[in-house]
Amino acid sequence: MENYPDYIEAYFSGALSPEERSEFEKRIEMDKNFAEEVAFYLSAKQVLKEEVNREKKEWFRQLADQNPDLEKQPAPVRTMWVYRLAAAAAVISVIFLSWYLFLQKPASPTQMADRYIKDSFQHLNVKMGDGRDSLQIARQFYNDGQLTSSAKIFENIAQRDSSNTEAITNAGIVYLRLSEYDKALAYFQQLEKDTLYFNPAVFYQALTLLKRNHIGDKQRARELLQKVVDNDLDKKEIAQQWLEKKW
Amino acid sequence: MNLFKPFLPTEEREIIDSIRQNGGERKKGEERLFNRYSYLIKEGIHKYALLREEAFDLYSDTIISAIEKIADGSFQARSSLKTWIFQIFHNKYVDLLRKKTTNKSSIHRTLSITELLSQISDHSKTVIQELMEKTDWEVLRQRLVQVGENCRRMLMLWADGYSDKEIAQSMEYKTADVVKTTRLRCLEKLKQLYHSS
Repeated sequence: MENYPDYIEAYFSGALSPEERSEFEKRIEMDKNFAEEVAFYLSAKQVLKEEVNREKKEWFRQLADQNPDLEKQPAPVRTMWVYRLAAAAAVISVIFLSWYLFLQKPASPTQMADRYIKDSFQHLNVKMGDGRDSLQIARQFYNDGQLTSSAKIFENIAQRDSSNTEAITNAGIVYLRLSEYDKALAYFQQLEKDTLYFNPAVFYQALTLLKRNHIGDKQRARELLQKVVDNDLDKKEIAQQWLEKKW
Repeated sequence: MNLFKPFLPTEEREIIDSIRQNGGERKKGEERLFNRYSYLIKEGIHKYALLREEAFDLYSDTIISAIEKIADGSFQARSSLKTWIFQIFHNKYVDLLRKKTTNKSSIHRTLSITELLSQISDHSKTVIQELMEKTDWEVLRQRLVQVGENCRRMLMLWADGYSDKEIAQSMEYKTADVVKTTRLRCLEKLKQLYHSS
């Protein structure tokens, strides 16, 4: 008799290869008995989670009953030394910033990259509608700041469907924000192979290299930005502006 | 290293470290977390005009969510614990308002396993979700009591995010492999009890 529980567990723990995962999902659609086994596994986990939460809530009630003044406690405040340290840091920062601006040094490439990431990647658009498909869920996790959860879902979608450019692009963006530059680069390189009309892959690779900042990355980033300009690729104007700065 | 990560106060760090431990240490961390931000219950009553029970439930759900995220490493200290807890509390309040206005409480049943469901392709997910909608949740919950105390405890630790290795330490099993085998047998037992109803 086939060992369904082990197989199902391997799928949800990420132990199967992309091909094996694809077979697992096809089997759900073709084999009703198997689909019921998977549904039961998830239903059981759901009920168990609810039980865990119910017991935790009861325990919280006991804690509250044992300490009637619990809710009256004030919000924790940072101790004074943190404020003094923050004030000192602010003064030093102002002095340093004035000196820096006075000398008018050009923006560093990492600063340019940081600014771009801050302006462009803080939020992913969640499309309206009732659907809760995986992409929507992943975007929602991203916008809620749950970057790791978001990365897992985008990555799963990209592994299942190598033509899903949105998943590939967003996987790259999430890993960039998580400072996992090698993974981000891999996704943007994969994206470059797509025949999208507006394909920001080369620019995003340059962006990632500027953030990673290993030996040789800056030079490579310049080459990629030049490629964006020479081939009239997406983000050409920004690439042009960055190339004009001295770094 | 990101030099601009907020300075986490010592107590917040200690709470986070405790929750990422096993057994008794984790429980202490959970209790400290619950106690530290309990002022939010009063905020729920005064700011959000909730009844005390509602505010308490909302706060409990917030802490449960926070424990999960700290334990699985999702909380990455990009803000202070205090700011993050408040954000969860506020988001759950918004969810509560939506539930009240749309009366769609039934569709939220599978929210806690959303991440597992999202691993499946959309077409297969539809098949699974349709089957899950036929689950008799009350019967399944009752069968959980009948599965035996050892199985119940092990399955609950698993659902609470403990790894097989952590369960082995907590329940004094020899190895993680033994726990895994036992746990899958317990799931099988639960399934047989459920289908025999």
